[in-house]
Amino acid sequence: MNILGAGIFKGLGVTLKNFVGSYFDKERLTTNDYSWRPDDKLPQSVGEYPKEEGEQLSDTTTVTNYSRNFPMLLHDGGEPMDTVRCVACKICERECPPQCIYIEKDYDENGKHIKRPAVFDIDVSVCMSCQICVEVCPFDAIVMNSQFELSTPNRFGGLLLRRDDLLKSNDYYHQIHPEEAAARDQQMAEAKAAKEAKKKAAAEAAKKKAEEKAKAEAEAKAREVAEDKTEDTE
Amino acid sequence: MSLDLIKDILIATVPLLVIFPSLFAFTTWLERKTLARIQNRIGPNKVGIPCTRISLFGLGQPAADGIKMLFKEDIVPNGADRLFHLLAPILALIPAMLVLCFLPLEFPWSKLMSAKSGVQAFLLDGAVIFFFAITGLNTLAIFMAGWASRNKYSLLGGMRAIAQMVSYEIPLVLSAVVVVMSVGSLNAADIAKAQEGWNWFVLTPWGLVAFIIFFIAALAETNRSPFDLPEAESELIAGYFTEYSGFKFALFFLGEYISMFAISGLAVVLFLGGGAGPGVAAFPWIAVVWFLAKIFGLILVMIWLRGTLPRLRVDQLMAFAWKFLLPLSILNILVAGFARFIPQDSLFPKVVVWLVSFGVLYAAAWGLNKLNRADVKPREYKYAE
Repeated sequence: MNILGAGIFKGLGVTLKNFVGSYFDKERLTTNDYSWRPDDKLPQSVGEYPKEEGEQLSDTTTVTNYSRNFPMLLHDGGEPMDTVRCVACKICERECPPQCIYIEKDYDENGKHIKRPAVFDIDVSVCMSCQICVEVCPFDAIVMNSQFELSTPNRFGGLLLRRDDLLKSNDYYHQIHPEEAAARDQQMAEAKAAKEAKKKAAAEAAKKKAEEKAKAEAEAKAREVAEDKTEDTE
Repeated sequence: MSLDLIKDILIATVPLLVIFPSLFAFTTWLERKTLARIQNRIGPNKVGIPCTRISLFGLGQPAADGIKMLFKEDIVPNGADRLFHLLAPILALIPAMLVLCFLPLEFPWSKLMSAKSGVQAFLLDGAVIFFFAITGLNTLAIFMAGWASRNKYSLLGGMRAIAQMVSYEIPLVLSAVVVVMSVGSLNAADIAKAQEGWNWFVLTPWGLVAFIIFFIAALAETNRSPFDLPEAESELIAGYFTEYSGFKFALFFLGEYISMFAISGLAVVLFLGGGAGPGVAAFPWIAVVWFLAKIFGLILVMIWLRGTLPRLRVDQLMAFAWKFLLPLSILNILVAGFARFIPQDSLFPKVVVWLVSFGVLYAAAWGLNKLNRADVKPREYKYAE
């Protein structure tokens, strides 16, 4: 026989446990309190995401389960726009299902196309994190980022990420997704090696062909010379 | 009317009009914070002193909400009855404020400022009766709001409110009757005085049962969860105040919280010893502090229950009032009467009387619970073959 009203007290116990627990166990809280931060700026990336007051910004570079994945542009270190992998081929722009990518090519003063984007915008309020841009990119230039804090005080265009917001170094990629980045680097190295080998083979083949041609020509010439001699003797 | 009388009236009523609305502001903050913590959130923590970064745990939030409410547009629906639409929130607030006067609160400054010793708003002999009579007006205001809005949700909310409040008023009054019987007075101050020295009624078996019934019925009377059917936001948008915005909405909100204070205050008077507590003999003004502390204790329990319990269904609500609370409270009156008048000598020592009455009441509650539980059978589909 149950005590009358025992269920209510059990429920009250559960809520009491949550009430008290939320003061002592920071992991329980589903939201993060930034009221202690000196300015109103919210953390912008995983690397800038401290959980508690006094914690160093660089201490929390791991990707949390609560992060959201939106694309970023990779560069190979140094000055971002010098080493950016993107060539503004616009394949991702065409393939993007919700059409959240906008690209403009970059031109030098002579009107010649430089292989890099002048404008590269991703509207993350539209992006559905489908990764199709990552799949289709032939240059491994666009990969998925992991960001926790995406809220912004600006409701007009605050979620439109510009080219310079999207540019991230390959080292950062290694930091947030080590295995994936290593696999991608290896794949790229293999592809590069294969390409070089092919190039080498092609060059060798061409050289061989040229040699053969030269030999044949020399033979023909020799034969001609011999024929001339015979003619002379007649 | 002499000048002294007017002065006395002001001394007695102005504190009620100042203290309780400010406590209302604090309670909204407390409720939001507590519910947030129950749901593992933080709750309001940003608004503090304006133009500074001092947030004071978000204690400025009620003020900010109040200013927001004042500046909001006051919308009256096209087909609404404009007069009654305006009148309803005012009528909801008036009885709530009025019943505060019946609480035996003696603020310390009233003794200093008045010629008489200790001014109190209404030292009425029939305070408890008047309390229930005036609380009943609240039902009218709520139905007026529902009817005048000319909105289906509002009307449904108003109808639910009528059914609920009329049903729960009966157990509410019947559980108070137990205390009135034991003391033999309807005067709130007398009732509080009778409980001095830890003779609180909640510490007797019939008093405990009456307190539980009173508290449940009070939850229903003030439309608090789990009895918030008239304003069930998942079913009726906001029930009877769906069509209210701006300051009229704030008045409803204020009225609701003030009636929470009032009915908690009555519970404190009837069952929890009024202002009784340690230190009252040495410093009489501590009684007010104890009184308000007990009210806040009850309100915290209300918030806690709101964070815990899901809303009842309409049929469950009515069945609970008529089939469980009503018979139990009538039986409780009988038990209290027997316990009061049985000769407490060696034949029936106090302990035996208490144990027997507690046993009878518990058995009755258990039996009523069993009787009310319908047998759950697998569902039969008669016409689906």
